[in-house]
Amino acid sequence: MMKTFSIGGIHPSDSKISKDCKIEVLPVPSKVFISVAQHLGAPATPIVKAGDTVKVGQVIAEPAGFISAYVHSSVSGTVKSVGPRKDLAGNNMTHIEIDVEGDEWVEGVDLSDTLITAIPEDNKAILEKIKMCGVVGLGGATFPAHVKLCPPPGKVADCLILNGAECEPYLTSDNRIMIERSKEIVVGAAIMKQVLGGCKTVIGIEENKPEALAAMTAAVAQLQKTAKGYDGISVMTLKKKYPQGGEKQLIDAVMGRQVKSMGLPIDVGAVVQNVATSLAVYEAVQKNIPLITNVMTITGDCLPMEKQHNYKFRIGMPLSYIAEVAGGVPEQAAKIISGGPMMGKAIANMEATTVKGSSSLLYLTAEQTVRGVESACIRCGKCAEACPMGLEPFLLQKYARHNMTDELEENAVQDCIECGCCLYSCPANIPLLDIIRIAKGDVIRIIRTRK
Amino acid sequence: MEKLLVSPSPHLHTKTSTKSLMRDVVIAMMPAVIVSVLFYGWSELLVLGVSVASCVLLEYLITKYLLKKPCTVCDMSAVVTGVLLALNLPATTPWWVVFIGAVVAIGVAKMTFGGLGQNLFNPAIVGRVFLLISFPTYMTDWTRPQGFIGGGIDALSGATPLGAVKEGGIAAIECLDYSDMLFYNIGGSAGELSAIALLIGFAYLLVRRVIKPYITCSIIATVAIFSGIFWAINPAEYTDPVFNILTGGLLLGAIFMATDYVTSPMSNVGGIIFGVGIGIITMLIRYFGAYPEGMSFAILIMNSVVPLINKWCHTKKYGR
Ligand code: SF4
Ligand code: SF4
Repeated sequence: MMKTFSIGGIHPSDSKISKDCKIEVLPVPSKVFISVAQHLGAPATPIVKAGDTVKVGQVIAEPAGFISAYVHSSVSGTVKSVGPRKDLAGNNMTHIEIDVEGDEWVEGVDLSDTLITAIPEDNKAILEKIKMCGVVGLGGATFPAHVKLCPPPGKVADCLILNGAECEPYLTSDNRIMIERSKEIVVGAAIMKQVLGGCKTVIGIEENKPEALAAMTAAVAQLQKTAKGYDGISVMTLKKKYPQGGEKQLIDAVMGRQVKSMGLPIDVGAVVQNVATSLAVYEAVQKNIPLITNVMTITGDCLPMEKQHNYKFRIGMPLSYIAEVAGGVPEQAAKIISGGPMMGKAIANMEATTVKGSSSLLYLTAEQTVRGVESACIRCGKCAEACPMGLEPFLLQKYARHNMTDELEENAVQDCIECGCCLYSCPANIPLLDIIRIAKGDVIRIIRTRK
Repeated sequence: MEKLLVSPSPHLHTKTSTKSLMRDVVIAMMPAVIVSVLFYGWSELLVLGVSVASCVLLEYLITKYLLKKPCTVCDMSAVVTGVLLALNLPATTPWWVVFIGAVVAIGVAKMTFGGLGQNLFNPAIVGRVFLLISFPTYMTDWTRPQGFIGGGIDALSGATPLGAVKEGGIAAIECLDYSDMLFYNIGGSAGELSAIALLIGFAYLLVRRVIKPYITCSIIATVAIFSGIFWAINPAEYTDPVFNILTGGLLLGAIFMATDYVTSPMSNVGGIIFGVGIGIITMLIRYFGAYPEGMSFAILIMNSVVPLINKWCHTKKYGR
């Protein structure tokens, strides 16, 4: 029996149109704008100023707190300005503007294709490298990776879970890296596993990615035969169900354990990292390459096959530039999503630039994405059936509309993972998550101030 | 591409809508409708026509002129109520009685509570029960009208099988052949004609994921067990389980009325409690009560405790 999480979930069409499109490297534009807020936590502090020359991989912003991350230049050239610029959602954020000249990298970076399988022994040095290279979680939350790899005192990791579920429809970048960079990902996993004290490691991949499953299984087998430190790593096939890649759901699926409300994965002995993060860890630790590239999917039903792409991009590239290189924004596109269609963000500003966690330009037509008119709740229970946290969205939205915070907390609104299953499923088009999201914010604030 | 749409996630939505769900319920009732029209002919068509037309018209008029709310006729829930009400009446019901049933169902049971989603009781059952109490002669006189086919079949004219038992004891139904009942041969309201037709509808609802099996199955299982025990103890006094499942609108109620979203519990466990309750109350009424069948009353009674059931049966939450 294939494993999956035990509560709720939905089965939207997976629409992996671009799954066979090989990763192509995007040419570097003449100018990049690199945001200092590419991670969860405090935005980094810029350490360059207009007129400075920078190389590829040079630190241009430093962490401003414990939960923060280094930002590196993705190009070589001259810093033109450091100042506010609109991000994806149209909010102002400090960006570092660099005019590109040539492609000169900092010293010590290994740009060859040679696979390095031997894992350095010093865990402290490894963590330092991961931190210095600005590695953050690339599964969506962009939480600084080194923080997650240092369990708080008293907590032990029983299992490292590598998230290769890619349960969001349309996205195929993880699929491609698992096929094309499988060995590097496994080395990254082995490095993280060693840092965590040598716990069991499971790479969870959904059944709809047979090529990735085969490639990853082969890579694990080969590395276990030829190198040291790869025992206890295995690949697990997961049933296709959204949101399998949700951290809490994946832990349930793989380990059969459930994280307590408001708790952390490490409380049940789990550490979850995305496969793309594992690749970034490999590049940081084995190759000294900071996190300045990632892979994103350009897709949508309204794009012809030849305009579907999986691109290796550098951070700071304007989205409009990428769309242009990919063949232009299709006429029918009414909404462009960065991320998956279930949890991604609608792009308000195509002049915004790529960040570490960018994963897609997804073109949706009006017909696909415009919601129907809201009507009365028919108490069908489909929202509750779909909720992977076992919540009762119809009830939460009712309480939320009346500002009943006590009832909301009692009914666990704070546990909502904002997966969108409820809103997706509601036949009456009630904007469940829109309402619940606001209520959740309020309740979490109340819980925090109480403590 | 003019201006980009920007709205919060999720950006996709299921194709299932209130309307498509209601349409599926209507489709699921079609086998039973077809069988009843074939066997009861023009008079059944008249009952169906009057019932559906008056339910839709009443909902339209009430939303438009009384409540002044957006029109909800397009969601097809009034059509569902109309067909259900018709299936719950004898084919011989005069048109004006049908119309009164529709007024009670839509006007009283549905709209006074605020329309779809707000009503506590299933509108079609309220309509039927109102008629049962107000016009008992029309509602229990089951003379069989001329159908399009099978005009000669006449197992029990003048009374429903359950009614016959109430009056004449168990001997009254000795001539009944269950395999007939499975297909077409039950005296009673139009929708009780054929168990097979109803079960086809049930299968359709399950396949289309309109309903889950818990409520229907727990009703049938409860009735089977309850009557099985009594029948085993004293078969001369009590009717047997198969008889009880195939008669008295039990299947019609268990499949199409007790499963109504609005008036049934939200959770699976709640659904089972609800179903067991309906099964027990139905059998208590049938064996010991004044009315020969008890399904409608049982559903109404259990409808009234749904808010309580919902209060106590919550879904299993993650990590709690
Ligand atoms: S968005 Fe929240 S409430 Fe809705 S299904 Fe997901 S976890 Fe449940
Ligand atoms: S899915 Fe929509 S209509 Fe159904 S119970 Fe939930 S909120 Fe109500």
